[in-house]
Formats: sequence, C-alpha cells, structure tokens
Amino acid sequence: MKTVMAAMRWLARSFAIVLLVVLGSTILVRFAPGYLSDVREMDSRYAPEARSELAIEAARSRSIPQILREETAQWLQGNFGVSRQFGVPVSDLIEPRLAVSGELLARGIGLAWIAALCAALLSSAGRNPSIFRQTPATMLLAVPTAALVTFCLLVNSGGPVLVMALLLAARDFKFLDRALRSAWQEPHVLQARAQGIHTGRLLTAHIAPSLAPQLGALASLSLVTALSALVPVEVLFNVPGVGQLAWNAALNRDLPVLLAVMILMAVAVTCSGMATPRAAEWESA
Amino acid sequence: MKLRRPVLWLLLGLIVAASLIVSMPGASYVHQDREAILAAASASHPAGTDALGRDRLVRVAAAFLLSLAGAVAASALTTAAAAGVGTLAAFGGRSLGWGLMVVCDVFLALPWMFLLMMVRSALPLTTSPARSAAITFLVLAALGWPASARAVYRGARQLTTSDWMLHTRAAGLRGPSVIRYVIPNLFPLLVPQFLISIPAFVMAEANLGALGLGVGEPLPSWGGMLFELNNSPMLLQTRWVCFPVILLVLVLLLLEGVAVEA
Repeated sequence: MKTVMAAMRWLARSFAIVLLVVLGSTILVRFAPGYLSDVREMDSRYAPEARSELAIEAARSRSIPQILREETAQWLQGNFGVSRQFGVPVSDLIEPRLAVSGELLARGIGLAWIAALCAALLSSAGRNPSIFRQTPATMLLAVPTAALVTFCLLVNSGGPVLVMALLLAARDFKFLDRALRSAWQEPHVLQARAQGIHTGRLLTAHIAPSLAPQLGALASLSLVTALSALVPVEVLFNVPGVGQLAWNAALNRDLPVLLAVMILMAVAVTCSGMATPRAAEWESA
Repeated sequence: MKLRRPVLWLLLGLIVAASLIVSMPGASYVHQDREAILAAASASHPAGTDALGRDRLVRVAAAFLLSLAGAVAASALTTAAAAGVGTLAAFGGRSLGWGLMVVCDVFLALPWMFLLMMVRSALPLTTSPARSAAITFLVLAALGWPASARAVYRGARQLTTSDWMLHTRAAGLRGPSVIRYVIPNLFPLLVPQFLISIPAFVMAEANLGALGLGVGEPLPSWGGMLFELNNSPMLLQTRWVCFPVILLVLVLLLLEGVAVEA
C-alpha cells in the first residue's frame, strides 16, 4: 500500500512537472520577439494605423489562456496542433522524425555502452587507475559536440552515430570504470577471487547484481546526455530528426511543434528517472 | 593535487598571452585584410586569416578572453543562485523546500541543450554583438543553477543534523543567524560547483554558437568559429582552420583539470 501511494505521488509530481514545462514553454514563446508578427504588417498597402491595429488585434487574440485552450483542444483531437511554419499537423511532422531520432539514439547508446563496458572491464582489471587508459575519455569529454561534428565533417569521416557513441562512451566509461573498480574491491568479491572462482562467474554472479542499481542510473543519464547531444548532432549533420525539428521550430517561433517536442522530451526525461534513485529523492524532498 | 599547479600556471600563461595579443598595437578582431583571405600562417598573420581576411590569432585570443570572462561571471551567478535556493529549501520549511525542488525538477526535466536552445531562441537574436554575448551568458547563468541547487540542498540538509547545528539551536539561534554560519560550511561544496560550471558554460556557449544562437558577429567566440567552420567547405584549403578547435579543447582540458583537482 505504501509503495502504491509512493508511486501515485511520484506520478502526480511527474505530471505536474510536465504541465509546468508546457506552461513555461508557452509563456516563453508567446513573449519571444516576432511571435505575433503578421505577414500583413509587411504589406505596404496597409496604412501605418491599420498595421498598428493588426498588431493590437494579434496581441489580443493570442493571450496565454487562449493559446493553451487551443493547443489542448488540438491535443485532444490527437494531431498535436498545426505547425505555424509548415501548415501541416504536428503529428505528421513528428512521427517520421521520431523514428529517425529513435534509431540514432538507440544505435548511439548501444554502441557507447558496448565500447564503455569493454574499456571499463579492461581498465578496471589493472591495480590502479592508469592515466593512459583514462586520457582518451578525458580528452573526449573536453570536446564540445559541435567541435566533434565539425571535425568529422572536415575530415569527411564518421557520422552522427559515431559522434553520439563517442560522446556517451566517454561519460559512461568514467562512471563504469569507477563503479567496477570499487566492485572488484568488495570483501565478498575478494573472498570469491581467493577461492579461485572464474572471472566470468564473478562478473555474472557477484559484480553485475551489485552494480545493477548504478547501471540503471547510468542508463538514465545516458538517455538524457544523448537527448542533449541530439540537437547539435542532427542540425550540423543535417539529420531530419526531432532535434533538427525543435531547432527549426525554436528559431521560427513555431509554438505547436515546440510544445510537442518539449512534452516528448520532458516525458522521456521524467520517465527515465524511474530507473534511478531519483524517485526516492523525490520522496524525501 | 600534483597537477593543479602546472595546470593553473598554464591557464594563467594563456590568459596573459591572449591579453598581450589583443592589446598589441594594430591588433583588431574586426579588421579585414582583403588581400589575405583564408591565408596560411605568415609574419603578419601568425595563425592565418579567416574567410573574411580577419587575423585568426587575434580573434582566437579575444574569443578565449570573452568566453572565459563570460563563463566565470555566469558561473559565479549560478553558484550564488544555487547557494541561495539550496539553503532556502533546506532551512525554509518542508513545503517551501518541496516547492523549490519542484522548480528545480521543472528545469531538469528538459535536456540541457534543448532548454538552452529554447530559451536563447526566445530572446532577441538580431541584436548588438555585446548584447548578444551578455544574453548568451545570462541565459547560461539563469538555467545552470538547478543541478547545483540540488547538490547544495543535499549538503545543507546534512548540516541540519550536525552537532554544531544542534549546539547553535540549543544556544537559541534561529533563522538568518543560523544561515550566517551555514554558508561558510557550504563553501567546500560551492567552490567545486563554481569550478565545474566554468568549463560546462564554455562548452555550452560553443555548442550554442555552432547552432547560430550564440554571440553575434563580429564579436569573436568559440561557437562563432565553429559555426564558421561548418558552413564553408572552402575552409579545407588551410589546416590552420583547426587552430581554434585545438585551443578550445586545450582550454577545456585545463579548466576541467582545475575543477577536478579542486
């Protein structure tokens, strides 16, 4: 019963956070310069007074509650509204791009995990952290995503999946190396090693179970980091994904598209918190 | 601890060198030498020129100083905000603490780059270069505090059960009088937060600039230089185009070195 109540509270809090994200995004875009500009204001046939009236009319008809009401109605219809920039339902814009971004994220995260896990297993086998083993990850962490993408474009080698994987692998490696290093030093693992238990058995029976909660947290962190890197990677590599769509929508004040993307992101990040000890933190907050 | 001193000296050396380069007579990051477009290194342009004939060394030096100054200022603001919010959440009662942590979670519910991009794009993009630089770093400061505030909140919560806190309460100290003693005890937590934020902000500015949302031209910035690189295939003519990227990585390594050693 206590667990159900805690889960309900967590769900209510997550829902409130997503609602606040929606409200914040709407207010931000509504007051962004150029949001209320009407193409008729550029038409020289309109007198200055008429243009002023058009601007006042636009400001009056686009109050925050009205925007929210319209957006909610369109969300309930299932099409997430109509894009101001492209004039098509937002769902039509997002669906194909979601598949592209999803594939990029899945491949990037998968590759990063494999690389980081292999490197961390090798690195943690040593007695002390070697500076030579840590250097590649440290170097990669110091490279901004945009710089890595630019480098790939300049040398005409590598692609979005590789960039995403390298960025994530560097972070994951640091975490996994530290976690594995301390796991190998656990008293029960030392005892098992002293008894001559095979390394494979040690990893599956003793190391992996004790690392499971930390791996869950790392998975969540990987997703959030990958989502952050999505914008520069997709924009600079010209990948038609959600990140590129969000960037386009932000520059063109396309509120319906921006809201849909922001809600998707907020839901993804909030749900990924389920796999971390953060849910417990929320309980105590 | 072993690396801290050389890293600090190297960083200081870079700051002095960049200041000297920028303040040299005739050095200008806006002057265009139309006779030397995308030129390789020479006596008059030690690191070559960019696509508009501007001296790359002067621009890189100015970008380094601007980025560092902006990141340090933004980091100071964000750390101060985090200290205020975290302490208030820990000592301001249960409901206030809950409310402030929900606000933190709202900021943290969006990936950092999405949040930065959305807020920066909602602010004026066609403005003066100095104002665009101020807006960029203010946005970084305004959005960077929630993660630090959570860390400060946790640290401050631990202090509430410490022995000296029980003593101060037993001695009859309440409210602001207690906070006065709490802040110095949070310094070991705040100093790393401040140092960690600096490279993070330098990196965020570079990423934002590469998306065309950073500091406006002709003011030089790391992001602006990355943006320039990405848009001109003809830049492959000279290897000196990689100079800003290499220096940026070196600066970030040094800043992260300082943060880690601290």
